[in-house]
Parts: sequence; structure tokens; C-alpha cells
Amino acid sequence: MKILAILRKELQTYFYSPAAYIVFASFLLVVGYLFWVVLIASKVANLEPLLYNAAFILLLASPVLTMRLISEERRTNTIELLLTSPISPVEIVIGKFLACFLLYLILIVLTFQYPAILHTYAQNLDWGPIISGYIGLILLGAAYIAFGLFASSVTENQVISAMLTFGGLLLFWIVGWTKNVLDNVYGDALSRLSLLERYSEFLKGMVDSGNVVFFLIFTITWLFVATRVLESDRWR
Amino acid sequence: MIEVQNVTKYYGNFRALDNISFSVAKGEVLGLLGPNGAGKTTAMRILTCFLPATSGTATVAGYDVFEDSLEVRRRLGYLPETPPLYPEMTVKSYLRFIADIREVPAKLQRERIDKVVVRTGLGDHLDRVIGTLSKGFRQRVGLAQALLHDPEVLILDEPTVGLDPNQIIEIRGLIQDLAADHTVILSTHILPEVSMTCKRVVIINEGRIVAVDTVENLEGKSGQASRYKICLKPVGLDWKSTIESVPGARVEHERVDGELVRFDLALPPEGGYEAVFKAVVAKGHVFTEITPARASLEEVFLRLTRTEEGAAGAERKVAA
Repeated sequence: MKILAILRKELQTYFYSPAAYIVFASFLLVVGYLFWVVLIASKVANLEPLLYNAAFILLLASPVLTMRLISEERRTNTIELLLTSPISPVEIVIGKFLACFLLYLILIVLTFQYPAILHTYAQNLDWGPIISGYIGLILLGAAYIAFGLFASSVTENQVISAMLTFGGLLLFWIVGWTKNVLDNVYGDALSRLSLLERYSEFLKGMVDSGNVVFFLIFTITWLFVATRVLESDRWR
Repeated sequence: MIEVQNVTKYYGNFRALDNISFSVAKGEVLGLLGPNGAGKTTAMRILTCFLPATSGTATVAGYDVFEDSLEVRRRLGYLPETPPLYPEMTVKSYLRFIADIREVPAKLQRERIDKVVVRTGLGDHLDRVIGTLSKGFRQRVGLAQALLHDPEVLILDEPTVGLDPNQIIEIRGLIQDLAADHTVILSTHILPEVSMTCKRVVIINEGRIVAVDTVENLEGKSGQASRYKICLKPVGLDWKSTIESVPGARVEHERVDGELVRFDLALPPEGGYEAVFKAVVAKGHVFTEITPARASLEEVFLRLTRTEEGAAGAERKVAA
């Protein structure tokens, strides 16, 4: 019930401000443009390049969606209201996460038009990699948002929160490149943390349970840390 | 209802509260009084479970604010110094959100919201976006938020700050109303507010309690010579020497007003008004007015917070 209250409030806030609309509009504009360019250039009914690009654009867009979630509560002192109400930090964090994730899902659903277009004009469209790619994209979104929520919990400044999210996610995106440089166990270990490496496998049509679990653990870990950060206010 | 025992709070090396203890009985309105930065807000934040005490314990309705924080928070209504509002929400959606997170049962929500809206005079503003409201109305929304779940204990941090005189009177009236069935702690640095709304006062200065007493006692207990404003119809010229023959009694600010004399009678702390009045009457002079001039709360406050200043200030810097 209280989680729903937070969720509803956050969704209201997204749509009361222009931020959500602007993120939606620019994301769809760029993705639509890429779809067209890639399709005309390659003349192949393949959604992989689009899904790959969409994941990177969402990496840039998600800090904008998450940056204010907790920072703004800190800045305006409404955090004092939440923390003195009979609601736990876990409920606060989950409610906020779900609100942002729901928004993300809407964004993803809006891109379903592209496979639909391909389906209309192409014969024998290979649905496997498209579906697995979308599963990957959704899991990736949960990871982005959980990390962004954590970044938002540590500062009252939205810009810092956004930069922290952007920097952190980008690092997790490209950390797999180490495997080309470090030909040892460390290089291998780091590449396993890479969001890009894991996501690429979904694009190839593989839904590997290890990768699914990785994204879930990544998400839960950052949500947990965000909860602890909020709780720590009370015993610091 | 509220017990605070030996609570000390440090921010780093700064001691914000130094071993404070007080208690509030059920149904009482307690004023927390002190200059800015005295530790009023810190004390309230500890009671509302927003900040932990460095040492000492505090309980609300029998629950420890640290161990049973959830139970405490269920019983509290809290209005922080700046009302915690979401500027982009409407008053209605804000109150509905509060009702949800304060665990007001879904069936009762409409009724509770209607009730606080009437009580705080927000009726015509339900569909306004909070960001467009004036400061006075924001304060009312903040108060509505604190009352919504009908809490046993209300903690109000400077509830009348930033309001115009009419609004201040309204809010004070509201607080007096609430006192009937709530336990209230309110902080302020405005003294008349305390004498109007509170029965008992805790005066804090630089993190220490310098006085806990009823408003009446504090006003009476000025410690200075008690004073009377007197108007006398003298029968001779010896009235002044008659009065000053009583040890410690002095006549000040005397002026003649027709056949009357008006003056202030200053007496030593141990009193002595009986001896003075008897001696004056024995000589045949007639009193036409006797007004006891009690020290105002302002004077008590200034005296209490100033005498502490030097010693406490020096000590606080040493503390680590």
C-alpha cells in the first residue's frame, strides 16, 4: 500500500514536469532516425543494431530519469517527511524504483513499432533474437535505474547524481574491454562485470540464466545499497 | 507521554544538545523556547526519529525513538521548520499521498482529509498546485499534513514563522484547539506565542536547558526586586520617607499628577510589601491604584539566556 503511494506520487511527478516528455521525445526521435538510417543502408531486416544503439541511448537517458528521485527529497527536506512517517526506507526505494521502471517499460513498449514495421515488410523475420534482445533491454533498464537510484540517494544535488550515474554506468558498460588488454584472470573477472558483454549475448539470441541472474543481482545490490544509505541517516 | 532523558547530541565536535531531560504529560502543550541555534530543532528531530541522539534516551508514548522508531512514528504528527511539500502536487493529491504513507485506512481517508481541510481552512484551495500557494497557505498544508492521521503527539517546529498577524492568530487558535485532545510540543523564539499557547515552557540555550517551568511561574520568578506601580493620594509630604523607612524599599520614577503621586515601588527579592503598605496606610495616605508589575517573559528569557552565555560558551569549545 505504502509502496503504491510512493509509486503513484513519483509517476505524478514525472508527468507534472516536462522531464519525462522530453526524455520520451528525444529517445524516440533518435531511435527512429537510427532505425531508418540502418535499414536503408543495410537493407537487412535485423533489429540487432537498433537494440544495441537503444541500450546506449538509454544509458544516456536514464540518469535524467533517476537523478531527482531521492536527491530532490533531500534538497527540499521532504526526506524529513518520509523518514518520520511510518514507512521504511525499503518501501521508499522500491516504490521509487518501480515508478521509474514503469516509465522505462513504457519507453521500451513504444519501440515495438520497429519490429512491427519489419514484420510487415520482411518475410521470415527471425523473432528469436528480437525477443531475447528485448528481455535483455528490460533487464538492463532495471540495472540502470537501480544504479541511478543509488547515485540519487547519496547527494542532494541532481547534477551530481546524474553525473555519478552516467560515469558509473559508462564504466560498467565498457569495463569488458579489459579482456583485450589484460590477458589474465583479472581481465576475465572484469569483463564478467560488463553490462555490454552480458547484453550482447541477449542480442545474439541467447537468454543465458547466468546473465539474467547477473542483471538481477546487479539491480538488487544497488537497491539494497540505496536503502542502507537512506537508513544510515537515522543512525549516523 | 514524552520522556527525554539525558539526551546529548554531537554534530562532529559540535555539541548541539548537552544532557537535556524533560517530560511532557498527556494532553499538555509544551513550549520549547530558545534563540536561533539553541538546539530546538535538533531536539525535535531526535523525538521524531529523524536523527539519533549521541547518548541518552527518549520515549514517546512508551516507545523508544531508536528501538521502536516505527511505533513512535505511527503516533507522531510532525511539522518541520519548512513545511515538507511537493510543489508540483495539488493540495488534494498531496494529502491523499500523506494519508497513504501515514497508514490512514482507505475507508477513513476521505473523512480525515475533509476534517483537516476544514480545520486548517484549506477548503477553497484543494485543487491548487502547492507551488503556487502563498507562504501562509503552505504552512496550513504543512499543518494539515501533521494532523491528518489524528496523531497522539504533535511536534511543531516554529509553526507560525513567516505568517502575517492574522494567520498567526488563526494558527495559535488552532493549536489551542488541538491541545484539548493532543499532546503538543511546539518550538518558537516568539515569546508571546508561548504565553498564549503553552502551559509549560522549556527554555534552551546553547544546547542546555536553562529553565523548565510554567509560564506563570517564569513570569513571577523574575528574581529582580518585585515591583508595583502605585498611585497614591498623600496627606502630607512624608509619604516617601515612610516608604523608604522599610529596609530595601525604594521609590522610583515619581511624578505628581494633580493631587495624586504616581511612582514605582521597588522591593527587595525577599519581599516586604506588607510592611510598606501598612506603614503608608497608618500615616493616613490613601492608595488609589496598586498594580503588581510582573517581569515579562521577555525579561526572564533574556536574563536566563544571557547569564548562561559566557560560561557555557567557553565550556562548549573545550568539549570534544
